[in-house]
Amino acid sequence: MVGRAEQAMSKPSDTSASLGVDRQTFLTPVRQALGRISGQAVPPPPTVDPKLVRLASVSEDVVALFAQRAGEVGMTVCRIKSDELIRTVMGLLEKVGARRVAASVGSLPQAVSLNDSLRRKGVEVVDWRATPGFAEQYGLDAGITDVHAALAETGTLVCSSDAGHSRGLSLVPPVHIAVVRQSDILPDMVDYWARLSGIPGRELPSSQAFITGPSKTADIEGILITGVHGPGQVHILGVEGV
Amino acid sequence: MSSTPSQSRTSGHDAGKPVGLSVNGHDLLFPPLPYDIHARADKATADKQLLDFVHVATYRKDVTRKQVTSAAFGDRHGAFRDLGAAIKQHTLDHLDHYLEQFVDNATAAGVKVHFAQNAEQANAICLDIARRAGAKLCVKSKSMVTEETQLLPQLEAMGVETVETDLGEFIIQLDHDAPSHIVTPMIHKNRQSVARAFERELGAPYTEDPQELTQIARAHLREKYRRADLGISGGNFLVAETGSVVICTNEGNGRFCTSAPRVHVAFVGIEKLVPTLEHLGVMLKLLARTSTGQPLTVYTHVMTGPRRAHEHGGPDEMHVILLDNGRTEILKPETREMLRCIRCGACLNACPVYRKVGGHSYGAVYSGPIGALITPMFRGLANYPDLPNASSLCGACYEACPVKINIPKYLIQLRAEMVSRRITKWSDRMMYRMWARSLGRGWTYRLGGWAQKLFFRWQARVAGTLESGDPYRARGWLNDLPGAAGGWTSQRDMPTPPARSFRQWWDEQNRP
Repeated sequence: MVGRAEQAMSKPSDTSASLGVDRQTFLTPVRQALGRISGQAVPPPPTVDPKLVRLASVSEDVVALFAQRAGEVGMTVCRIKSDELIRTVMGLLEKVGARRVAASVGSLPQAVSLNDSLRRKGVEVVDWRATPGFAEQYGLDAGITDVHAALAETGTLVCSSDAGHSRGLSLVPPVHIAVVRQSDILPDMVDYWARLSGIPGRELPSSQAFITGPSKTADIEGILITGVHGPGQVHILGVEGV
Repeated sequence: MSSTPSQSRTSGHDAGKPVGLSVNGHDLLFPPLPYDIHARADKATADKQLLDFVHVATYRKDVTRKQVTSAAFGDRHGAFRDLGAAIKQHTLDHLDHYLEQFVDNATAAGVKVHFAQNAEQANAICLDIARRAGAKLCVKSKSMVTEETQLLPQLEAMGVETVETDLGEFIIQLDHDAPSHIVTPMIHKNRQSVARAFERELGAPYTEDPQELTQIARAHLREKYRRADLGISGGNFLVAETGSVVICTNEGNGRFCTSAPRVHVAFVGIEKLVPTLEHLGVMLKLLARTSTGQPLTVYTHVMTGPRRAHEHGGPDEMHVILLDNGRTEILKPETREMLRCIRCGACLNACPVYRKVGGHSYGAVYSGPIGALITPMFRGLANYPDLPNASSLCGACYEACPVKINIPKYLIQLRAEMVSRRITKWSDRMMYRMWARSLGRGWTYRLGGWAQKLFFRWQARVAGTLESGDPYRARGWLNDLPGAAGGWTSQRDMPTPPARSFRQWWDEQNRP
């Protein structure tokens, strides 16, 4: 099925030092089963009609919807004013008994003052960048993060990796405190994909985690347990008016 | 169910499978072939506790699915399923194109993509990666594909300690058992067996409290994440447009396994592709709601390449092993639709047969209605002659399926193939042929009905039930028929046909 010209077109780098087969050898039985030849045109994929797939409309009170849905999946939601942030975080840390924390809240104006205030109150603030990987994070009592987006329809936090965000702070510590600004909240997942539209894969973050609740399992006799591997508590601080 | 000692497999059909290594729980998923369902199904139906667990869990999930999907989608549910089906079908119809696109984009994002035509190649690729990385400890999240390729014993054999981290899979690994449900692998086990396994294998104090048991596992597995140098995952979806791998999990172990170790290897079947992130979104909206009744799984992890230079944390190397292993066989037009499956498990939960016999009765990695279809396709129809018949064709699976795979239609198609290839027993084919003939003509039908009536009424007279004074028994219930009819009465009673048949009654009513 596959002509020599096409085989020559395949990239040699694809097959270097792999114990499997090369790309074209792999694709040959696929094309045979489909009755297609290499490079044959493909009609456009099915249209995703937003009227059908959008489950939360733009006109809804997205803040209220997000708070409701996040609550339904087992996260706590506290709506606060911008100037109440540091005080609320302190209160939460005290409540959960957290002594050792790390924060990555670069998108917030309080980023610097938060760390200083925590230290002044005797909370140990760890620099998670000091060592590669999660090494510094296993011993933390809580991770404090901002979010890249929040989805109202499902009550979801989107935490992505970048220079200012580890993959670990929303995963490794037993408590995750997520600061969500009003402007972070999108009505539906559809809106998040629209925001990424046209960005090539190589420019996306290596990790985008959609978090919808605390870590959960029902493996033992169907009984719901939280905090299996990830955080057992997720507390959302919804900052109004920003 | 306990595992039996490993026996050498007889079939030449699955020559692509690795051989030899004795695997705990291995024979549950890879039994000697051809596989006969009856021994395990009989054992399962006799096990009251197993039945209770499986029935309660599947029934609950089935009810939740109906409630949640109707609340979320309302009258759009049908159109949503149509769109899910159309997306997967379109991708499969042009799979070569989307595979090429995925490979190009994943490679551009820094992923090393490998191509494995069978299980042997896939495992060899993974072992080679482990060797180059000098891996000593591997943490693994749930993957049906690695069950299919039987990867674990091979990693262990080369000295890489490999730990299943999904709580259910972890317990199954400790207990030398095998998963029995696509989504809830230890649906057949109780908390006592977990407590005993933790006490025996981890030296933990005996406790039956699920919360404490979970904490024991958490502490144990944390140490593994900390030290692991290799992470293995499956993949729920691959996105062609961006080269992303997507895994949907609830516990967080999937994020650990793909983020903590220096090297991440994803095993993914080629049918997992979707064209774009927008299409991924549609599938995500369907998957968790249909599977567990959640709006999304707790963690939906979209991974696009290894750690970028400016990022902290995440693997330095990311590998994707694309696996064929019989999928291109199913990709032919007659059966292509089967590959739409997104492994949500809804058909298992809806199936009256799965609920009665449990997952291990299917004798394969994929159980339930979808397993009854793809297992004979993967491993040979002649090797699994009972599976296409292990269905009442009630259609509950079709109704539950988020991508509208017409499972009953394909079960019938496989049955027809079994007859035409003479896999069905001679006596059965004869019996059905005679039946079909007798239904085809009025006089043979009447003769057959008359003979049947005489036989059953004679049986009832022999059993003494027709004369009984008990009003229920006086109806003439048969509960111990001889020969082939005994299969029916071993599970339920059969009423004796009345002395006057419906046709006789009808004729009398309509006499001029």
